[in-house]
Amino acid sequence: MAELNVLGFHAGSSVLHQLDVRFKLMFLVVISLSSLKAFVPSLSLLTLVLMVALIHAGLPLKMALKDLRYVFLLLLFMFIARSLSVPGSSVVEFKTVSVTREGLYEGAIVCWRLVIVIMTGLSFVLTTRSSEIKAAVEWMLKPFPSIPAKRIATMMSLIVRFIPIIFEQAKKTGDAQRARGVENRKNPVYRLKMFSIPLIRRIFERADKLVLAMEARCYSENRTDSLLSSGVRDWIALVGVVCLCLIIIL
Amino acid sequence: MNEKGLSNIGSSTSLRMTVYASLMAALTAAGAYLAIPIGPVPIVLQNLFIFLSGLLLGSGWGTASVGVYLLAGFLGLPVFAGGVGGIGRFAGPTGGYLLGFLPAVCVIGFISNVSKTNVVRDLLAMVCGSLIIYACGLSWLKILTGMTLGKTLAVGMYPFLPGDALKMAAAVPIAKALRPVINRE
Repeated sequence: MAELNVLGFHAGSSVLHQLDVRFKLMFLVVISLSSLKAFVPSLSLLTLVLMVALIHAGLPLKMALKDLRYVFLLLLFMFIARSLSVPGSSVVEFKTVSVTREGLYEGAIVCWRLVIVIMTGLSFVLTTRSSEIKAAVEWMLKPFPSIPAKRIATMMSLIVRFIPIIFEQAKKTGDAQRARGVENRKNPVYRLKMFSIPLIRRIFERADKLVLAMEARCYSENRTDSLLSSGVRDWIALVGVVCLCLIIIL
Repeated sequence: MNEKGLSNIGSSTSLRMTVYASLMAALTAAGAYLAIPIGPVPIVLQNLFIFLSGLLLGSGWGTASVGVYLLAGFLGLPVFAGGVGGIGRFAGPTGGYLLGFLPAVCVIGFISNVSKTNVVRDLLAMVCGSLIIYACGLSWLKILTGMTLGKTLAVGMYPFLPGDALKMAAAVPIAKALRPVINRE
């Protein structure tokens, strides 16, 4: 469970924390999209801006980077794949494979862009409460008539709420089966079956209790909306981000 | 205020299916971390739960379940493997597989029959679903890494096929055992 908790909200009082969540979501999308068009100079600029913002917000970057090591492994793999597959003048040659200058450059650019996108997402996740995200979802989906915004927001809260319960139940199920010597059974289909059926059945039994509890408390979608407020600060930030993105694209 | 919403969720079945769909989404999120250690490579349960979303909830609620899961991840809630969510994960090398879950579950639910177990139909549904997931995942991986088709297949598909076959074989009896629990009417 620890893996899922580290990259959650971290309290703070920086500009990033205080901006309206709707604006932050918009920034996230705009910056991510424009970074896909960026090259070395604009990428350096973006990295600089991001670094300043992240350090200013006082986020636990070391912990976050440690948590992301699996993602960086994937990026490394992509870098190697790119550097081997793009044709051009070779730098190192080994039998049939050759590392090309163009490949190295392109691989580095693609990986750099993805790191920017990931770091932007990280700064959003670390400075925003999940209840705020939920409220923003409700707000954004409201204009679409056929989408039940409140139900989706409820479902998202339920997901976050249920993940720890599932881990707990999975551990109990695994322990119980080890105690009964399930490791002597080598048939993987049997093991999958015997692990999943009790796990899912128990989780759904809990869900039934939850439904009863919700009905007993007169749950309906006719609820008071969460409060979201935007101020001058948000609009200034919006202008800043739009300028930044225009510089990147042009 | 919003009478339509009120009447929609007023019936108990609708609320129950909403909670069940959220639960399948939570299971999908947890499934990235749950693995059964057999042999050298542990079998990760995420695809199994994707298959089961389609088989147990049907086309509509299954798609809703996976859609909300992806939306939650897209907005940065910590539901994807590796911890961090956000747009970054869709742009990353595994993003295509994640997006492929959505049409895959829709098709699995469509082909299989939620209320009655039919082994052939269930298997066919899962094979089609897997094909869709791989089609989305591999094409995105190929665009991103610039590898040839053969290499992309060797990296992004062949190593996972034995595990997928095992999961499909397991999903049929699991779905059979759990369908009565979920569709009680």
